Amino acid sequence: MSSGLQEQFSRISAFSPVTRREPSSHPEPQDPSNLLTVLGGEIARNRYGEFLVARQWYSSPERCGADTEVLRLLLSANSELTEWELQRAADPEKWLLLDTETTGLVGGTGTYAFLIGLAWWESGGIRIEQLFMRDHDEEHSILLELADRLAERPVLVTFNGKCFDWPLLQNRFRMTRQIATPAFAAHLDLLHPARQLWRLQIGSVRLTELEQYVLGAESLGWSRRNDIDSSRIPEFYFEFLRGVAIDGIAGVFHHNRMDLRGLAALAGRIFRMLSQLEGGEQEPLELYAISHLLNRRGECSKARRVYERCLSMKLPEPIARRARNVAARLAKRERDFGRATELWNELASSSEPSWEALEQLAIYNERRARNFNEAARLSRLALAELRRASRLGLITPERHEHLSAGIKRRLARLGPKLDLGCAWQSEPLPKMLK
Amino acid sequence: MGREACSTDSYCWLDFVRPDFRRHRAFWYARSLLPNNLSAASYSIVPPIVPYPKGSRLNSQSPIEPPSYPLPHGHVQRSTATPLEPGLQLGHLHVVEGRLAHFNAQCARERSSPAPLTPPELLKGERTWLVQTLGCDLNLVLHTIIVTEAHNALAFIGHPAHDSTSFAFHSPALQGGSVAGSIPVSRSSSGNEIERVVDQLAARDRNEELLSALHHFPAQEAKWAPMPEWVRPELVAAYGDKGVQRLYSHQARAIAAIHERHNTVIVTPTASGKTLCYNLPVINSVLEGPDVRALYLFPTKALAQDQLAELHELGERLESAFGVFTYDGDTPSDARAAIRERGHIVLTNPDMLHAGILPHHTRWTRLFESLRYIVLDELHTYRGVFGSHLANVLRRLRRVAKFYGSDPRFIACSATIANPAELAQRLTETDFECISENGAPAGEKFFLFYNPPVVNRYLGIRRSYIHESARIAQEFLKRDLQTLVFANSRLHTELLLTYLQHANRAAPGREQSIRGYRGGYLPNERREIERGLREERISGIVSTNALELGIDIGSLDAVVMAGYPGTLASTWQRAGRAGRRNGSSCAVFVASSAPIDQFIVQNPDYFFGRSPEHAFIQPNNLEILVNHLKCAAFELPIRRDEQFGGIDVAPICERLEESGYLHRTGNNWHWTEQAYPADTVSLRAVTSDSFVIVDTTGAPETIGEVDFPSALTTVHPKAIYLHQGQQYQVERLDFEKRKAYVKQVQLEYYTDAIRYTQVRVLDTAETLRFEPAESRNEPGATRNHGDVLVRSQVVGFKKIKFFTNENVGSGNLELPENEMHTTAVWLTLERSLIDSLLFPVRDRQSGMHGLLYALSSMATLLLMCDRRDLGTAIGERPPLLGLDLEWSESFGFGEEREYFEPNLYIYDVYPGGIGFSEPLYEIANVLIARTRKLIEACPCGTGCPSCVGPADQGSENAKEVALAILRRIGAVSR
Repeated sequence: MSSGLQEQFSRISAFSPVTRREPSSHPEPQDPSNLLTVLGGEIARNRYGEFLVARQWYSSPERCGADTEVLRLLLSANSELTEWELQRAADPEKWLLLDTETTGLVGGTGTYAFLIGLAWWESGGIRIEQLFMRDHDEEHSILLELADRLAERPVLVTFNGKCFDWPLLQNRFRMTRQIATPAFAAHLDLLHPARQLWRLQIGSVRLTELEQYVLGAESLGWSRRNDIDSSRIPEFYFEFLRGVAIDGIAGVFHHNRMDLRGLAALAGRIFRMLSQLEGGEQEPLELYAISHLLNRRGECSKARRVYERCLSMKLPEPIARRARNVAARLAKRERDFGRATELWNELASSSEPSWEALEQLAIYNERRARNFNEAARLSRLALAELRRASRLGLITPERHEHLSAGIKRRLARLGPKLDLGCAWQSEPLPKMLK
Repeated sequence: MGREACSTDSYCWLDFVRPDFRRHRAFWYARSLLPNNLSAASYSIVPPIVPYPKGSRLNSQSPIEPPSYPLPHGHVQRSTATPLEPGLQLGHLHVVEGRLAHFNAQCARERSSPAPLTPPELLKGERTWLVQTLGCDLNLVLHTIIVTEAHNALAFIGHPAHDSTSFAFHSPALQGGSVAGSIPVSRSSSGNEIERVVDQLAARDRNEELLSALHHFPAQEAKWAPMPEWVRPELVAAYGDKGVQRLYSHQARAIAAIHERHNTVIVTPTASGKTLCYNLPVINSVLEGPDVRALYLFPTKALAQDQLAELHELGERLESAFGVFTYDGDTPSDARAAIRERGHIVLTNPDMLHAGILPHHTRWTRLFESLRYIVLDELHTYRGVFGSHLANVLRRLRRVAKFYGSDPRFIACSATIANPAELAQRLTETDFECISENGAPAGEKFFLFYNPPVVNRYLGIRRSYIHESARIAQEFLKRDLQTLVFANSRLHTELLLTYLQHANRAAPGREQSIRGYRGGYLPNERREIERGLREERISGIVSTNALELGIDIGSLDAVVMAGYPGTLASTWQRAGRAGRRNGSSCAVFVASSAPIDQFIVQNPDYFFGRSPEHAFIQPNNLEILVNHLKCAAFELPIRRDEQFGGIDVAPICERLEESGYLHRTGNNWHWTEQAYPADTVSLRAVTSDSFVIVDTTGAPETIGEVDFPSALTTVHPKAIYLHQGQQYQVERLDFEKRKAYVKQVQLEYYTDAIRYTQVRVLDTAETLRFEPAESRNEPGATRNHGDVLVRSQVVGFKKIKFFTNENVGSGNLELPENEMHTTAVWLTLERSLIDSLLFPVRDRQSGMHGLLYALSSMATLLLMCDRRDLGTAIGERPPLLGLDLEWSESFGFGEEREYFEPNLYIYDVYPGGIGFSEPLYEIANVLIARTRKLIEACPCGTGCPSCVGPADQGSENAKEVALAILRRIGAVSR
């Protein structure tokens, strides 16, 4: 390059070097032949050329059992699998666990999946196969390899694969303009079920946290102690590409294997938990989450049973109230009015505003018990509760307006049916004045 | 007959008008009948005649039959002449053959002599003749007679108290010799009202100062062409339902060119049916092959929304559905997937294409695989920085399209600029067919230039143009004429709105009929206003440039422009908002006291003389290019032998590899960075480096952003920053975090940064000596252009009082130095020239600064750019070869040392230059001539903001010195 051009370039801010942290290890040039030993891999090739593959087998986690019922629960509500397809997908032999390591989290066409980690159950343990592109020209070969694996095991199991890994791989396949994006029979993304099941307990649901708090880190058989900072994964790969260091990338391989094993363990845990709804060893909060999940998927009677089970255990009060509310609604739907009124009464007797339960009780008294005076009394109580809730800022003025209008209509309707003699006697005192 | 027959003749233009009538519309009407190439030199204006005493009458002769030949123009209706009677009404004029022969003979004789016609006798004779012929009131005034070489004559007479003007046209080429008529007759009531306003404004102009131009554009008939046969019948039917049965000639030519797969650019005025030119061929293709895709690019989201509505309406008339969607920042994410799959026509903007579509092209496979058309509407907005960026985005777009195997055609639409095809070609790097002949009809139209009266002649202060604009708008509004007022800032929009709403109070319970329209309004509110305008529920609207581009608001009766919009193209666009298909309309430009405004208003020929600006872009600005190469690498690996807009990318990619952005494998460079390069590149600025402005009056809130170069001058500590009419004082400038903390204040002054600028010439590309006025030995100057290094530092600021512009204080600042490599044009004034200026050093210095001020004002006008795009500095010309290491400095305070041979620099305020310097160098002669005209025409005493800048304390000869320098440079220019 001419010095004139160099000088001109030196003034361009778009050239200012990428700011990176210090290299992860000693910046001594590493012998490329070390690569295979450090990463524990071998060179494989297919018709697009060479790539690196690292294979391992672990005895844990064990293969998990799966049944169609649980699978249906886990797949998102709008997945349209036929019964037969569901049967097939419920065979863990057909599962391909997948986790990729990429050159960035932003997506788009310039983000590469440089390491595709795959895992499946084999010989009572778990087989891990990591496909790695040593340079960009090996991308085609690892993608083809992935397509082949997916043809053998067409059920994808991932953690956040629906939003991240799979769209990114789709991009990569399209960028080849040669290899068709492979089709899968089903995609089981465990992030969403995990979030529903454990959000209440651990807040943010990340795989490492699940390992720690849910799966029991000690019993897993691996340790995250020496794990890398996952936000630096792209840097490690760029260092490797430039021949600066390879221990960073070795750390990435290790990290990816642990993620895959964690994913396998998580799958086992979720299936076990959901297949033993009665008599399992779940925590109350887990149970509550399960019932919530069942309810959302329309499994009402199952959900009700689990709600009842967790109500019999010790739940934190706000959660218990929510559980009672839903359980009562489910009981009402199954026309178990006895249990429903019981739950409503429990709710109404607590110190928290409970207009919902009061209104439901009023409806029950009007329609079922035909006790109009009681219905009117409860309605007025509900109104008072609503006012209180509005004052406390629990509901918006518009919602207050809307809800109280409904109750006032009920009161008006009840008016002519009331036994006036006792109406004033049962005039309730607002809770605040008691 | 008429214009065609006249155009081969040379003209002698006689102007027998009273001064107060000179700008009467008849005069302009007469001019508008003449060919465009008639310059001021080819006619002469003669002294006015004295009106006959009022009340005297002449006996009329017997009635003369009206002649029966074709009228000169279709739009002029012949007077239904009743027999002439004594005291005949105006509007009935007949010219008798034979009388003119005498007149013509006189004219022919006079023309051979160089002296202007002094025809008192002639006039007397002709007047007598006319009065005798007409037998009308002697109070009649003869306005204008145009006599051509072929002895054609056009006479205009009118009455000061009457509204209509009669004319007669005589030509031996006509069998009978003459025609007569009256202009304009038989028109809608609004036409009359418009003329009343025009007349009233003309009448107000007693000293010939206010109205500097009154242009009349005659109505134009539509030129029709049939719908081509290849258009699918259902589409023909759909357009038929809309009332489009046949096409205007330009539309037919455009769609034919597009149909033949030519890249096409269409340049016709506002409301000439440009959108049909692209919608029809695109939809036709979609109907023929449902896989066809088209991408429409609009400079703003609002325009895309407007087009969406139009396309939906068309879609409803067609049975076979096609998908039309907008894709921009407002598109909900759940709708995006559907748009990618099903959108036949995707409407978006360059920014979204750059940051939202191209980096995710794999999701747009369907679109890119079948991309047939790319539509660039409002092409003229893509100039300067924005255009340079867009050219690179289009390079990337073509690269991605090629990857998917498609080769789209471009269809571009532009307002009138001098080089539409060239701009389109530079933006897209392919050849274009240009269609500029307009076949759309138009009603008669007036265009007035209004210069607010001078209040203080010495200081060059004029009456507020905002108030004057409001007054003029009110003239239209009170006659129920639908009026659009354009202001150049949000603040002025609100001010004008307040005035006009106050003057037109809505009746209780009635809808407010005067509304505002600008960027900050919510989309729904805007749609409602647009509808209100179309349905004429809203009679007046005050807008920023938001309504300048093609948003459909129908056509209005009048447009008032408060201040020059900045470019000729914008001015014509805005003026084009007024225009009734039948009936009259009017556009008024009210000049502010800014130099450009004053130049335009005082030189209407520059504006009307059909010399629109050129639009320039510089896609190969290295900073911009490198940024887009990064984006391109993110989209697709870059091949070693690849060309990016004809540029060899290898050296740049190697450098990017060194910096860590790219990694080369085999023959390809791949992106190796976690960040998303498009996010850090804004299409509206060269560098993305900018300061965020945080209002800390209450809870901290971000109110705006300024880019790095202007941050130093606008948000330095203690600066007054104006935002939406509110004053803020900068309390702290955090250089590291790029934040300026401000607080709301109410002060009587604003601040102006004092900047210390040094320029060093790095490389002179070309040098040329100005052709001296007389001989080579005369003192002279050279012009140069090339690369320079600009080092600037803000060293202090002045506090300047509002309205009076008094200097009420100052402060010192210590801010870091800013260095920029860019391109510049500079004039070198030779020593001999400096010596020939017989003024004290101080005057010479301030004269040079004044000159530079005027030069850069004029340059922004010629280059169609913003004042902020150009920087100026004065420095010593570096010693000759080899010794050019020394800095040339601009003046500091009170510096008495004089430059030996000063360089006057005008540089691009963008790192690497944005392509203004070379064109400016090419037109340096024009620049000098126009600047001279600007300063000469300015009525101020010793310099004002309209010419050489405010008068300097202590030096009162800046204007004179600047003019002296310009005269000595003596550029030959027309």
